[in-house]
Amino acid sequence: MSRVVVIGAGLAGLVAANRLASAGVGVTLLTKGIGGLQLSQGTIDVLGYAPDRVTNPVLTLSAIASARPGHPYAAIGAAGVHTGIEYLKQLLPDLLVGDAEANYQLPTAVGAIRPTCLVQPSMVAGHLKDGAKVAVVGLRRLKDFHPALVAENLARTTLPDGGRLVARPVSVDVPARDAEVDSSGLTYARAFDDPAFRARFAAALKPLLGDGETVGLPAVLGLKDRTAWSDLADKLGHPVFEIPLPPPSVPGMRLNEALMASAKAAGVRVVNGTRAVSVRVEDGVVKGVTVATAGADREFTADAFVLAAGGFESGALALDSYGTVTETLFGLPLAGLDAGPLVHGDYWGPEQPLFSVGVRVAGDMRVLDGNGAVVHPNLYAAGGIIGGSSRWAEKSGDGIAVGSAVVAADSILEVLA
Amino acid sequence: MSHEGLEFAGHELARASLDACVKCTICETMCPVSAVTPLFSGPKFVGPQAERFRNGDSVDHSLDYCSSCGTCTLVCPQGVQIAELNSQARAVMKADHMPLRDKLIGQTVLMGKVMTPVAPIAKAALNNKPIRAMMEAVVKVHRDAPMPPPQGQTFEGWFRKRPKPSRTPTRGALVFFHGCAGGYFEVETSKKSVEVLEHLGYEVIVPKQGCCGLAQQSNGLFDQATASVLKLCDDLRAAGTDLTIISSSGSCTGMLKHEAHEIMGVTDDKLKDVGTRIRDIMEFLLDLHEAGELPTDFAPIDMTVPYHAPCQLKSQGMGMPAVEVLKLIPDLTVVESGAVCCGIAGTYGLKKEKYDIAQAVGRPLFEMVKKTNPDLALCDTETCRWQIEQSSGVKTEHPIFLVHRAYGLS
Repeated sequence: MSRVVVIGAGLAGLVAANRLASAGVGVTLLTKGIGGLQLSQGTIDVLGYAPDRVTNPVLTLSAIASARPGHPYAAIGAAGVHTGIEYLKQLLPDLLVGDAEANYQLPTAVGAIRPTCLVQPSMVAGHLKDGAKVAVVGLRRLKDFHPALVAENLARTTLPDGGRLVARPVSVDVPARDAEVDSSGLTYARAFDDPAFRARFAAALKPLLGDGETVGLPAVLGLKDRTAWSDLADKLGHPVFEIPLPPPSVPGMRLNEALMASAKAAGVRVVNGTRAVSVRVEDGVVKGVTVATAGADREFTADAFVLAAGGFESGALALDSYGTVTETLFGLPLAGLDAGPLVHGDYWGPEQPLFSVGVRVAGDMRVLDGNGAVVHPNLYAAGGIIGGSSRWAEKSGDGIAVGSAVVAADSILEVLA
Repeated sequence: MSHEGLEFAGHELARASLDACVKCTICETMCPVSAVTPLFSGPKFVGPQAERFRNGDSVDHSLDYCSSCGTCTLVCPQGVQIAELNSQARAVMKADHMPLRDKLIGQTVLMGKVMTPVAPIAKAALNNKPIRAMMEAVVKVHRDAPMPPPQGQTFEGWFRKRPKPSRTPTRGALVFFHGCAGGYFEVETSKKSVEVLEHLGYEVIVPKQGCCGLAQQSNGLFDQATASVLKLCDDLRAAGTDLTIISSSGSCTGMLKHEAHEIMGVTDDKLKDVGTRIRDIMEFLLDLHEAGELPTDFAPIDMTVPYHAPCQLKSQGMGMPAVEVLKLIPDLTVVESGAVCCGIAGTYGLKKEKYDIAQAVGRPLFEMVKKTNPDLALCDTETCRWQIEQSSGVKTEHPIFLVHRAYGLS
């Protein structure tokens, strides 16, 4: 029987479930859908802007932690983030590489340069240096990637270290499926899993490449076959890097599938397809969470609970027409509601305060009320439900998720032991 | 449109979930059909997107290639009832030109009744190439598609004629719902389920019962399906209105628990009564275990066995109870398939024009099953077992077989 129930299957929920189960604790993971992680770019952002571009995320977040006590990193701490990053690398050694003390600076699908901490091996060659020569290759039947847009923007950009590069667009037309004129990135990724397709593709592209060019491609170089990108690079005789696309995001799918597979392998019981609808609390202690299983509701009891259900985007937080914000499962007290109007009218102005609303946590990730007291002794929070930061502006969401998940898991393991 | 079911399908329920769609594409990425064929434009395109333009008939006729496996609804993080929308839209689309074949293959009770008395002949006929070629030409059922295995005795016949169980019930009574397949074709699954329940100390009541209408529903015959499911509710309620109902037909259980209501809009109180009292047998055993009431004196079974959770079991939102129950058997290693779908989707994979797609959908599963154990695979629903067995060549049984064996009953 499970001793811990984790609610939510995004990055935070999956990391928490993995860490708890691999320590030998029975875990049930409750999730409405399959989680939003696969919509991500398949990289781990720890801190990208503060507000200037960050090169050493752990170092910079330490400064944030001491300057802003309400920021999630103040509770998680640099050590927690470091532990999380190392854990994730160790969990997925063939999928994530990088260093908590150094950001990669990678081209995006609009040709900007994006700071991020852990990346997939297929993206590493995208960390471009002064004097680089880049061929940005588009697929004519893939509508979500425009090589001219990427190449022209890269060519007029000064790299974060001050360097410049040369970039040019290249287009090839190799159909992923016969007769299909508009294929998704995922359809291409499935085609790239096939060595014969890779050979055909390399044969079409190779003559179009110039000496010394690094090849940037949309991130569709294989879904299941982790060697697809390096095999293609070998066949082309050029370094290759992937540029993430809008969803369906193949690198996001790789990350999501790998974390779910390792969770299941570690014995996590996954209950998918239904929302958690209510909780049972006795004397302040959370006893059970009920999900709306078809036919009859079903309660899952446990010793400890991790709320990793996300924020507004997943319905874990809701805003009604009176401007009232609620945490929809436990009705937890929220921080960030008293900073004046939650939404202001200046579209290009400062961050909207609404999106920093969330729960406040202690150093062990237990949820706190407005007075700083623990709300339920066995309720922990991880990921997007924790308030106090503008994740997309800082590019800190993944680091908060991973850090809070391992700290919550380790706190629970300590209590259960 | 004068039929109640189609009126509903045209205008109601699932449409209310449309606006929750954020076009995130998660359903597209998990759809097993659009993964293998460009003939289906995918659940989001034919569902939440095309639905906005639908006034009666759907604007995207590739909808006919949706297998109704329900994966899209299962994976959607926003609660959009994509599969339900698509089933409803398809019923409306097919209403004025329902193929004869689609009317016939929903007649599961009729098939069972005709085949059982002449099982050896039926079996020979279904294995006979010229007969299957003729079937393919006339009713468009693919010649290589898996067919139900005719049995010489129905479950009902066995249950009536067997010697009375020697053990006196100690735990009260349960109602057993066997479904058409469990009554006529998968008789062994039903027998073993009853024997396990009796071994646990329950009295098992088997009322005379008909079909849940699932095959009709999935073919868009909502009126007939509604009549079937309500008749079945009467049948099951005849055995008492406060007993737990147990079923080893995973997909029929789903029809009663939620599909008849969510897809066809059946709101009758007797469906609500039956739908909230019915439990899948592995779900029931897991509930017992969690309440500390399941004897775990299982004999070891030294085996590694692949398990595939069928789509219509997953869509019930209870996880995979079979995996948890089988974990209790010493030395048994259960490997979950990780496959989205076996391809058959009820009657989809039988159809001539969809057979190749269904085979392509199931291929990764067939390979996984063969690799994991060439002698035995486990799966909770009948047509999925027939599909896996036919296409992988690996014998495929309901998980209750191993529980039965571990209790020393076989």
